[in-house]
Amino acid sequence: MRQPSVIARRVAAASVSLVMAAGAAACGPKDNDAKGSGGDSTPRKGGTLTVLNSEPQADFDPARLYTSGGGNVPSLVFRTLTTRNRENGAAGSEVVPDLATDTGRPNKDATVWTYTLKKGLEFEDGTPITSADVKYGIERSFAPELSGGAPYLRDWLVGAAGYQGPYKDEKGLSSIETPDARTIVFHLNKPEGEFPYLATQTQFTPVPKSKDTGTKYESHPVSSGPYKVVRNENDGEHLVLERNPNWSAATDTERKAYPETIDVRSGLDSSVINQRLSASQGADAAAVTTDTNLGPAELARVGGDKALAARVGTGHFGYTNYIAFNPTVKPFDDPRVRQAIAYAIDRSSVVNAAGGSALAEPATTFLPNQKSFGYTPYDPFPAGKAGDPAKARELLKQAGHGNGLTITLTHSNDKNFETSPEIATALQDALKKAGITVRLQGLEDNDYRDKTHSVKTEPGFFLAHWGADWPSGGPFLAPIFDGRQIVKDGANFNTGLLNDKSVNDEIDAINKLTDLDAAAKRWGALDKKIGDKALVVPLFHPVYKRLYGKDVKNIVISDWTGVLDISQVAVK
Amino acid sequence: MNGFAGFVLRRIAGAVITLFVLSVIIYVVFYVTPGNVAQITCGPRCSPVQVHQVAQQLQLDDPLYVRYWHFLQGLFAGQDFSTGTSVEHCPAPCLGQSYQTGRQVTDIILTKLPVSFSLVLGAMVIWLVLGVGTGVLSAWRRGRLSERVLTAITLAGVATPVFVIGLVLMIVVCGELQLLPFPQYVNFTDDPEQWAWSLLLPWLSLALIEAANFARLTRASMLETLAEDHIRTFRAYGVGERAVIARHALRGATASVIALNAVTFGSAVGGAVLTETLFGLPGIGQELVHAVKVVDLPVVVGMVLVIGFFVVLANAVADVLYAVADRRVVLA
Amino acid sequence: MSEALAAVETAGTDISVPAASGAHRFWRRLRTQRAALVAAAVVALLVLAALAAPLLTALEGQDPTTYHPTLIDSARGGVPIGSFGGASADHWLGVEPQTGRDMFARLVYGARVSLGVSLGATLVQVVLGVAMGVAAGLGNRWIDLILSRITDIFISMPLMIMALALLAIVPDSFPRPVLVALIISLVSGWSTTAKMVRAQTLALRNLDYVSASRLSGWSTSRTAVRELLPGLAAPVITYAALLIPQNISAEAALSFLGVGVKPPTPSWGQMLTSADVWYQAAPQYLLLPALALFVTVFAMTVLGDGVRVALDPRAASRLRIGTGRKRESRAEKAAQAPNAAAAKAAQVPDAAVVKKEGRA
Repeated sequence: MRQPSVIARRVAAASVSLVMAAGAAACGPKDNDAKGSGGDSTPRKGGTLTVLNSEPQADFDPARLYTSGGGNVPSLVFRTLTTRNRENGAAGSEVVPDLATDTGRPNKDATVWTYTLKKGLEFEDGTPITSADVKYGIERSFAPELSGGAPYLRDWLVGAAGYQGPYKDEKGLSSIETPDARTIVFHLNKPEGEFPYLATQTQFTPVPKSKDTGTKYESHPVSSGPYKVVRNENDGEHLVLERNPNWSAATDTERKAYPETIDVRSGLDSSVINQRLSASQGADAAAVTTDTNLGPAELARVGGDKALAARVGTGHFGYTNYIAFNPTVKPFDDPRVRQAIAYAIDRSSVVNAAGGSALAEPATTFLPNQKSFGYTPYDPFPAGKAGDPAKARELLKQAGHGNGLTITLTHSNDKNFETSPEIATALQDALKKAGITVRLQGLEDNDYRDKTHSVKTEPGFFLAHWGADWPSGGPFLAPIFDGRQIVKDGANFNTGLLNDKSVNDEIDAINKLTDLDAAAKRWGALDKKIGDKALVVPLFHPVYKRLYGKDVKNIVISDWTGVLDISQVAVK
Repeated sequence: MNGFAGFVLRRIAGAVITLFVLSVIIYVVFYVTPGNVAQITCGPRCSPVQVHQVAQQLQLDDPLYVRYWHFLQGLFAGQDFSTGTSVEHCPAPCLGQSYQTGRQVTDIILTKLPVSFSLVLGAMVIWLVLGVGTGVLSAWRRGRLSERVLTAITLAGVATPVFVIGLVLMIVVCGELQLLPFPQYVNFTDDPEQWAWSLLLPWLSLALIEAANFARLTRASMLETLAEDHIRTFRAYGVGERAVIARHALRGATASVIALNAVTFGSAVGGAVLTETLFGLPGIGQELVHAVKVVDLPVVVGMVLVIGFFVVLANAVADVLYAVADRRVVLA
Repeated sequence: MSEALAAVETAGTDISVPAASGAHRFWRRLRTQRAALVAAAVVALLVLAALAAPLLTALEGQDPTTYHPTLIDSARGGVPIGSFGGASADHWLGVEPQTGRDMFARLVYGARVSLGVSLGATLVQVVLGVAMGVAAGLGNRWIDLILSRITDIFISMPLMIMALALLAIVPDSFPRPVLVALIISLVSGWSTTAKMVRAQTLALRNLDYVSASRLSGWSTSRTAVRELLPGLAAPVITYAALLIPQNISAEAALSFLGVGVKPPTPSWGQMLTSADVWYQAAPQYLLLPALALFVTVFAMTVLGDGVRVALDPRAASRLRIGTGRKRESRAEKAAQAPNAAAAKAAQVPDAAVVKKEGRA
C-alpha cells in the first residue's frame, strides 16, 4: 500500500481556484502553445523543470522509499532491474526492462528469477554497475536504520525474514546470487509470478558499497539514472538535479530526460501549488507537481477556462476507498447487517464529499476499474446511485433490528478526504434514511492507524483505503483477504479477518502464473467471489487531476501511476 | 547594580527550572500519546519482527526514565550515533537524533531558526509601524475617518484567521493582480533581495494579526499620559498638540510597547505555525507540527525547548527594557 | 509572562475604589456610550441567535446536517448551483459546496460552538487566573515563587503542540467542545490573567482598607473574598472581554490543524478552514463565517472598551466621555489621590495584551 506521499494531504481540499480573467489575459499569447502541449509539438532538450510539491523528499535513499513502480522524482536518479512502461493509459501499466535485458527469466514454478544486466551501465562517477551493487542495494534495505520500504522482499526471499542488513550481518543474503558481474539470481520461498513488478521498486537500485554512508546516504545517493543530485537542502525540501554525464540513453529506452536541470521545491501548501501552476508565471510556466491534485474548489473554476482546462492532466491510479467491517464485533457478525449497510449507502453523496464526479468514481468492486487489475464489474448489493434504504430496512428487520439500529463509525481526523470526517458525515446522513443511527468516532491519525491495524483493537465499522503497489490484483487482494496474512501482534490489513481455504488456495494458484494477463482474469474472478461476503463495501476510486505549467510539453500519464511521468516531460 | 545582577541571576535560574520542567512534561505527554513510533518510522506495512528491530535501534523499548536520562546525557555530555556504516559524534548540547530522518536535532533547529527569524523580524517592523501608527492616530484623531478605517483593519486582523488572510492576499496580489511572484522562500545569504520579496506577504499576514494589540496598547497608554497633569500644564502654556503627542504622549507609551514587542516576538518565533505552513516557510513552527504528527519525540522536545527559551528570554528582556525605559518600575 | 507585561496589562483601572458601589452606577456610565450600547446589542443578538438556533432553523425549515445533493454541481467539484451560493427562499444564505447543507443553519449552529467555546474558555481562564493570582499575591514568598514558576511554564508551552498532543490522548467519548475550551484556556490566557491579578493584588494589599482588614485579624481567604475581589472585578472583567475574541480565533486555528470540534457539528472556525480554498469559486462560503467572526470580535472589543470605561471613572474622564455628575467624579478624584501613588508602582496604562501565538 502506498502512503500519502502519492496523494497530497489536502488533496480534495487542496486548492484555490484558478485565476480567470486576469490570469487568462496576462498569459494570452502563450496559451496557444499550451493547447498543443498534449504531445504533438516536438519536445526538445534543455531548460529547467520546476517541481512544486507539498511533501519533501525526506527519504531520498532507495532503501527507504516506498514507491509504486520506482516513484516519479526518485526514478530520475535511481534505475532499477525493471521499470514501468512510460506510455499513456493502459499500456503504461506494463512492466518493462530497465537495468536488466528483460523482465526476468523464471524457473518452472516461478521460485527462481534470473536477470542479466545490460552492457555499458555506469554510476555517476563512471564506475561500472555490477550485479553485486544491486545485491548490496537490496541487502541494505533490510537494515533497521534504513527501514521504510515495501514488505515483499522480506516475505518472498528465502531466509530474509529476520535479516538485519549488511551493517550487522556482513555475510549477506544467500538467496541472492551473483555468479558474475552481470547476472543476479533470486531464490524465493514460494512461487511469485509477479516478481518482475516487484523489481521496479527502488530497493532494486544498485548501491556501490564503497560509497554507502548509511543514514547519510540520502543526502547524496549515487545516481544510476539520467540525473544526479547536486543539492539537497533541508532534508529534501529543496533538491536540485542535474544531468548525469555517465548515463547513456542507449541503455535506457524509458527515460527521455529532456530538461537540463530539475529543481524540486517542497513543503508548499497544496492550495498554493495549484494557485502557482494556474498562474504559471516566470519559472512556474515550466513547473509540474508530482504529489498535488486539483481540489474541488479549483475544479469549479477550470470548467469556465478553456486555457486552464487544457493544462490539466487526468489519470487513474489503482486505489479504492471502502468501508471495512470487523465481523467479530456485534452487530457486524451478522452478514445481513453488513448487507443492509451496503444497500443503504449513498455513493453519490460520498463521491461529492470526495470532490465530485470529476475527482471520484463510484466503486462497487474492490479491485480498481482498470484492465491490468483484472477488473470484472459486479455489484452484489445494488444500491443505485443514492442508496436503497427500503431494501436495507427489510434486511435489518430480518436481522432483528426492526426498530432501528445504532452503530459507531470510526474514521480518522486527518484532512485526507478518504477516511476523513467529510466522508463519514456523508455516510451518516445516508444511513439515517434506513433507520440506522450512526455515531461518529473520529481518531487522531496515528491512533486511527494503530486501532484499525490491530486485531485486538479493530473497530467494527470504519473507513479504509488501499492503493496498488503495482498494477495487478495480487498486492491488492492478498494483504486484505489472504487468511495467512492475518497479523496477530502487529500491523494487520486483513481487517475482515477472512481465512477461507478456497480463497487462500486460489491466491496461491494465481501467484504461480507467469502469464500476467491470465493472472489478471483470475484476480478479477476472485474479487467478485470475495465481494459477495460483504466484508468490505467499496465506495469510490479517486481520479487524479493535476495542473502543469503552460510551457510543459510531452505529457504522459500511465494507468500505473495516474499522474504525469516526470521523466518524459520537456520544457523546450 | 547589585540589584540588577541579582535580578538577572534570578531570571536565569527561573528560566532553567522552567525549561527543565517543560522537557519533563513533553516527555511524559508524548510517552502516553498514541502512535507506535517504531511502526511509524518503519512504515505501515512493516512486520512485527522488523518493527521490533527498529524499536531496538532507536532504543524505544527502554523505560521512560532511562530515555529521559539519555536525553540529559546528550544535553550535557554529547552522544554518539551510528549511521550504519560509521559512528557520528553529536557534541553537547546534543538534543538527540530524529527518529524519522536520523538527522541531529540541533542541525534541524539550526537550519529552521533563520527562517523563523526572517519571518518574525520583518513582520515585527510592520506590526510596529501599523500598530503604533494606528494607536497614535486613534488617540490623536479620535472619531476621524482615517482612524476608524485603520482601527477596522487592525481588528479585522484579529478576527480573521491567518490562513484566510494569507491565502486571499496571495490570490489577489500574486494571482489576480500579478504584482508579486508567489512567495518562494530564499535564504538571506543566497539572495537578500529575493529573500525580502519572498517574505513580503508572510510579513504582512503575520503583522496584521499582531498589529491590533499594539494599536490598543499605544492608544490606551497615550490617553493615560495625555490625561496627566503635566500635559494639561503644557497645553495650558500653549504647546502645540502635535508636539504634545510626539514628545510626551508617545514617549509615555514607549515602555509598554517595547515590553509587548519583546513578548510577541518571543512567542512568534516558534508560534507562527499557520503562517509558515501556508507560505511554505520551512521554519520552526511548521517542523514542530510535523514532528508531533509523526511522534518524533527528540525533535519535539528540542523544538519546544528552543521555543520556550525564546519566550522566557523575551519576557526577561521585556522586563529589563521596560525598567530602563520607565524608571517608575522597580525590578521585582 | 514578564512582570513588565503584567504591569502593562494591569488596566488603568482605579483599583483604589471598590467597585462594590455599584451595578447602578456602572450601568449609568455604560449607557452614555453609544458605541458600547450598539455593541452590547449586537452581542446580545448573537448570543440570542445562538441560543435560539433550533428555533431559527425551524423557521427556515432546514437543519445543519442534512445533505442536499441536488443543489450542487457534482461534476464541477460540488459548487452550489445558482447565484449567491444557491440562496433561495428555502436556503436563505445558500448551501455549502460539496454537501449542499444549509449555510444559515450551519452559521447559527456554528455560533453556538464558537461563542460557547470562547465564553467557556474565558470563564475557566478567569477563575483559574484569579485564584492563582490572588494566592500568589497574598501568599508567602514560597507560594508566590512556586505559583509564578508554574505560570511561567504554561506560558512557554506552545498551544498548538499541546493541543495536538492532548487531543490524541483524551478519550474520544469526552465531549469535544468542552475539551477544546479546556485546551484553549489551560494553555493560554489564564496565565496572563494570573500575572495581572497577582500584580493587582500586590498593589491592593498595601492599600489602607485591605491592610486594615488584614490587621483586624481576618483570615486571608476572608480578606480575599470580601476586600480584594471587588477591587479586582474591574480589571478582570475588562481583561475577560479581551480574552473572548482571542479565544474565538484560537478555536478557528485549532480547527485548521484538524483538532477542533467534531463533525457534523459546525463551528465558524471549521467553516473557515474548509472554505478558504473556495474563495474564488464560492466566495459566500468563506465570507459568511468570516463576517460573522469579524462582527463578533468587533462588537466584543468595543463592548470591552465600554465596560472598562464604565468601571473606571478615571478612564471615563480621560476619554472625555460623559460621566454623569461632575461632583461625583470630583469626589472620586479626591478620594483616590492619596492611594494613587501606591497603585502606580505596579501599574501602567491599560492594554489588551494576551499571549496569542495560537493564532499565528
